Amino acid sequence: MSEIKVNKVSPRTGTYVSLNTVGMKNIIINGDFSQAQRATSATGLGNGDDGYHTCDRWKLLESGTPTYEFTQSQSTDVPSGQGFATSLKMDCTTADASLNADNLIRIAQIIESQNLQYLKFGTANAESLTASFWVKSSITGDYSVSLYNYGSGGGARIISSTYTINSADTWEKKTITYDGDTVEAFLNDNTAGLNLTFTLGSGTDYTSTDSTSWGSSSSGKLAYGQVANIASSTANNFYITGVQLEAGTSASDFEFLPVDVNLGRCQRYCTVFMDYGAGDTNSNRLYNSDYANVHGMARMGYPRMRVEPSLTYSSVGFSIHADYSSNGLIQLMASGDTNFRIYDILAEAEL
Amino acid sequence: MNFISATYMYDMEGVNKTHIKLELGNNKFKHIPMNEANTDYQAILTWIADGGTVIDNGGSE
Repeated sequence: MSEIKVNKVSPRTGTYVSLNTVGMKNIIINGDFSQAQRATSATGLGNGDDGYHTCDRWKLLESGTPTYEFTQSQSTDVPSGQGFATSLKMDCTTADASLNADNLIRIAQIIESQNLQYLKFGTANAESLTASFWVKSSITGDYSVSLYNYGSGGGARIISSTYTINSADTWEKKTITYDGDTVEAFLNDNTAGLNLTFTLGSGTDYTSTDSTSWGSSSSGKLAYGQVANIASSTANNFYITGVQLEAGTSASDFEFLPVDVNLGRCQRYCTVFMDYGAGDTNSNRLYNSDYANVHGMARMGYPRMRVEPSLTYSSVGFSIHADYSSNGLIQLMASGDTNFRIYDILAEAEL
Repeated sequence: MNFISATYMYDMEGVNKTHIKLELGNNKFKHIPMNEANTDYQAILTWIADGGTVIDNGGSE
């Protein structure tokens, strides 16, 4: 039988929470940008290109009718000796040195509300949150990072803070702690709960109102404190990796996850099938089978996602006239066509 | 979201609308389930509210 003898037992110092302090402490999914199911690079991103383009779970947000354009990519430029293999890169390819008042460039992750209940938002015990990340930019100066609480019916709320890039083109680690929101809770379902947003450039419409403490959201608060504009020159690049958001008032080391775990978490929101992106090749085709010797039906199962996903595909010379799919099963019918296939199949259930 | 046309798709019985099929061009398509938790469907609802029209041919081609 084992025996443990100690001389003294001391209480732990500092704040901590009882859940998510060990294992899955990072509220952010794919914070090391290691998963990029859709593509590893997307060019010409600018006006009208809100959405998900490369690294999983990370959404590009733009506003107004900007003239800037970026190439977004999964990069292997990483901080040395920190264990990261990939980062997200934003490379300005068409400059806009003077953003219009309604222009905004942001990268965000929207977090599902039912994953956030332990933060106890909307109560006096709301947990503080600490964001930590590595960043490298051609443009020194102040950048805004905000948390956006979608709320549970009482209206959206926001808090923001800033960090400073001190040296151009040099990896720096930043840490920001936010108070918990004691006013507005999260819904407890599969909808958007919280949004962590990094601003890369902003017009004056979004920087006019102090948002350094929690309050009702408004346009003027979205990028409060943002000074830098990475769209100012085509020589500009912005990199980020190691994004972690955790309960408490201090940042712990980045939580690296096995690829199967990280990919599985991403696939709740985006799943690509077979050799997605390879085009109409044998390894990338879903063929039909006959249905009633007259119609063609293509079927394929997959793990359930956040909600029944939108399905994007390419086809060869036929028209699918009915979609009997549900969450976890693709089921497409082509009337009067018993010989068809689809390829480059993408299922998206993003927030 | 850029697309050429939007058409309702129906269930097996041809009674209930289930998805909206977007034609994206170059034989590329996107099927959006009519579920308000799907953010693409939310975007389509906004597009409809702004005057967009989804083609309704009763499920026939």
